Amino acid sequence: MTHSVSLKMTIAALALSVAAGEAMADKASGTLYAGFTKELENVDSYFNSSREGVVMQRAIWDGLIYRDPITNEYKGNLAESWTWVDDTTLEFKLRQGITFHNGEPFNADDVVYTVNFVADESNGVKTQRNVNWMKSAEKIDDYTVRIYLKEKFPAAIEFLSGPVSIYPNEYYAEVGPSGMGLKPVGTGPYKAVEVVPGQHFVLEKNENYHDSPKGQPSIEKVDIRTIPDVNTQIAELFSGSLDLIWQVPADQAQKLEQMGQFTVANESTMRVGYISMDAAGRSSMDPNPFTDVRVRKAVNYAIDRQAIVDNLLKGKSILVNTPCFPSQFGCVQDVTVYDYNPEKAKALLAEAGYPDGFETDLYAYRNRDYAEAVISFLGEVGIKVNLKYMQYSAIRELNMKGEVPFNFSTWGSYSINDASAMVSQFFKLGSLDDARDEGVAADLATADTSTDPATRIEYYTKALQRITDQAYWVPLFSYNTNYVFKTDVDYTPTPDEVLRFTTMSWK
Amino acid sequence: MSDAMTDPLLAEIVGPTPGQLLRRRIFGHQGLLIGGTVVALLVLVAIFAPLLAPHDPYAQSLMARMKPPVFLGGTWEHPLGTDHLGRDYLSRLIYGARVSLMIGLVAAVISGLIGSVMGICAGYFGGKVDAVVTFLINVRLAMPVVLVALAVVAILGGSLTVMVSVLGLLLWDRFAVVLRASTRQVREREYVAAAKSIGASTPRILLAEILPNIVNNLIVVVTLEMAHAILLEAALSFLGLGVQPPTPSWGLMVSEGKNMMLFEPWLVMIPGTVLFVLVLGINLMGDGLRDVAAPENRS
Repeated sequence: MTHSVSLKMTIAALALSVAAGEAMADKASGTLYAGFTKELENVDSYFNSSREGVVMQRAIWDGLIYRDPITNEYKGNLAESWTWVDDTTLEFKLRQGITFHNGEPFNADDVVYTVNFVADESNGVKTQRNVNWMKSAEKIDDYTVRIYLKEKFPAAIEFLSGPVSIYPNEYYAEVGPSGMGLKPVGTGPYKAVEVVPGQHFVLEKNENYHDSPKGQPSIEKVDIRTIPDVNTQIAELFSGSLDLIWQVPADQAQKLEQMGQFTVANESTMRVGYISMDAAGRSSMDPNPFTDVRVRKAVNYAIDRQAIVDNLLKGKSILVNTPCFPSQFGCVQDVTVYDYNPEKAKALLAEAGYPDGFETDLYAYRNRDYAEAVISFLGEVGIKVNLKYMQYSAIRELNMKGEVPFNFSTWGSYSINDASAMVSQFFKLGSLDDARDEGVAADLATADTSTDPATRIEYYTKALQRITDQAYWVPLFSYNTNYVFKTDVDYTPTPDEVLRFTTMSWK
Repeated sequence: MSDAMTDPLLAEIVGPTPGQLLRRRIFGHQGLLIGGTVVALLVLVAIFAPLLAPHDPYAQSLMARMKPPVFLGGTWEHPLGTDHLGRDYLSRLIYGARVSLMIGLVAAVISGLIGSVMGICAGYFGGKVDAVVTFLINVRLAMPVVLVALAVVAILGGSLTVMVSVLGLLLWDRFAVVLRASTRQVREREYVAAAKSIGASTPRILLAEILPNIVNNLIVVVTLEMAHAILLEAALSFLGLGVQPPTPSWGLMVSEGKNMMLFEPWLVMIPGTVLFVLVLGINLMGDGLRDVAAPENRS
């Protein structure tokens, strides 16, 4: 009783504090107000690596190909059809009669310009892996284009349906990335009509949107504001100045669901949480217990991942046993699994010469509560862990120098549904590779470049089995995202962590 | 003496003994009594934490997360509920008293030693010593404490030792300023001149003549800085740059409860209230001690 009164009072006070001067968001206004926690790094999607940027990219631009997020079927978007001319050449027939938001007609020149621009490393596209598999593009005629690959790359179609969007050549040549960041122009279902970095973005329905597999936009206008604090977002949802928020932490989402005034939808994402260990002994830790496979196995046995998923992440999160997300092509789950067993962990530690455990630092950049839960589980088997909580970029830099012995991190694979987007990122002897296992790297190299699906599966299986046998990582769980929106909004989220305004409508 | 006790007339002429006077001043001062009791209680709690805490403050139970406290419908198993990892809130609060008091005390002692030596020397010797000390005080005052502490913690990493040393090395300015001024006043008094004229050495004058007469000011500054250090620790821990989890610190508890503030406000209110009570208690006590110890109030 007292509890619910105090809750209501807090809510009322918070709601009052934000209600003043805010437009009421609802169906009648025709505008959907959404809240994002993080700011975009850059609206130009090639110079952005944030999730919010991916959402904008899918709304403003189109790719040549589109992957249906439910059936995972590839459909032509800006391209009508495509064929592999040989192992490293793709030919596209383009759709005719499409215009960019500024009126510029879409044709082969736009594709050639965009591909040649992003494939050139000196132009500094932020995530090189998204584009550096392309060598160049060539115009065959006005509506036929060829893209040449540097080497065999079976995930090409997946990448073309994701991060590679087509820019208008004349406009981009004139304004460049900075101009595109301020006044973005694409062919997508929504036009950006107002961009105020750090404050808000206004998207407006593209009335002339082509017959795209993305579907036709229904909501007139979308106003996205950056509100860093989750409590403020929720208060604005109560006061009515926001219609939709997402990435709401599990506990808050549960409370909001209990209130019954909002739709709370939960969807899985491709983001995988994991702990990496300094198996190769690169860090200055001396002696380094993680070079011993028994210690790494003990760490795996010591953590009750199921309890963390059930009580902290909740929703559609699942246990993950490999360094990739199970829906990704090649991400087999037929591997060694370490179930929670603290007794076995203690026995393995004793066998490895650490009967009283040892002390180490755990680096983490997000979800301090998950990290604390892990630390507590490790404490129970005698491993004393100090938490080093830092910015992602700082840890990544230390990691590249091999100075991080023990790291709780996550990887979202840019929503690319192929195991190469995760396991190959970390186990191919690159600077982030803690295991430095040459056998694994060789298997991955074969799997990444083979065009035969059976061969790819075979080699990914080999690599993943070796990784789990050696317990190089503790793969933990997949993340989920909570979407909370007003009951007059109709929306079904997809499991790829992309907010699609095109599939939203008013009830 | 016994005559004085029995004979009211004599008692009036002789007056109360110094001990009686002191007792009367202490027990007649409400603020001192309240503040002293609060601080004494919390010190006892901190000392006997292992006996008082009903649970291990580090033992997590993910199945029993965010259970409400007894007065909001919880059970006596966890009188103040549990936190986001199912750890007993009361136990964490009790152990948190250790962290807060330890940081307050050690930081005040370190900064007190530095500041007092600088202030007394500057006030007593004057001249070049005074110029140097004043310059150092100005330099120190120009540095914002929180920013410097944040920078140091960011470079060295947050831990109890780092926090205590940083705060101890930063919070000496008020000691130096106050003690410099009061030493200058006392230096001109007759008893100092008298001590000088009978040939007392400088250290003797400083310790036996100056220090006892400025100690009342020192006490006030000690308590102020203790409270200041405790609040700074809480603020830095709240920002994630202070004491590192899973160490129970009140500031950290507020920070961890912040995300659920809208739905479970008690997660923030409980540690916040205790922090408020401790700081208020220390300030009341300091104020009271000053009143009791001030030379002008002694008779």
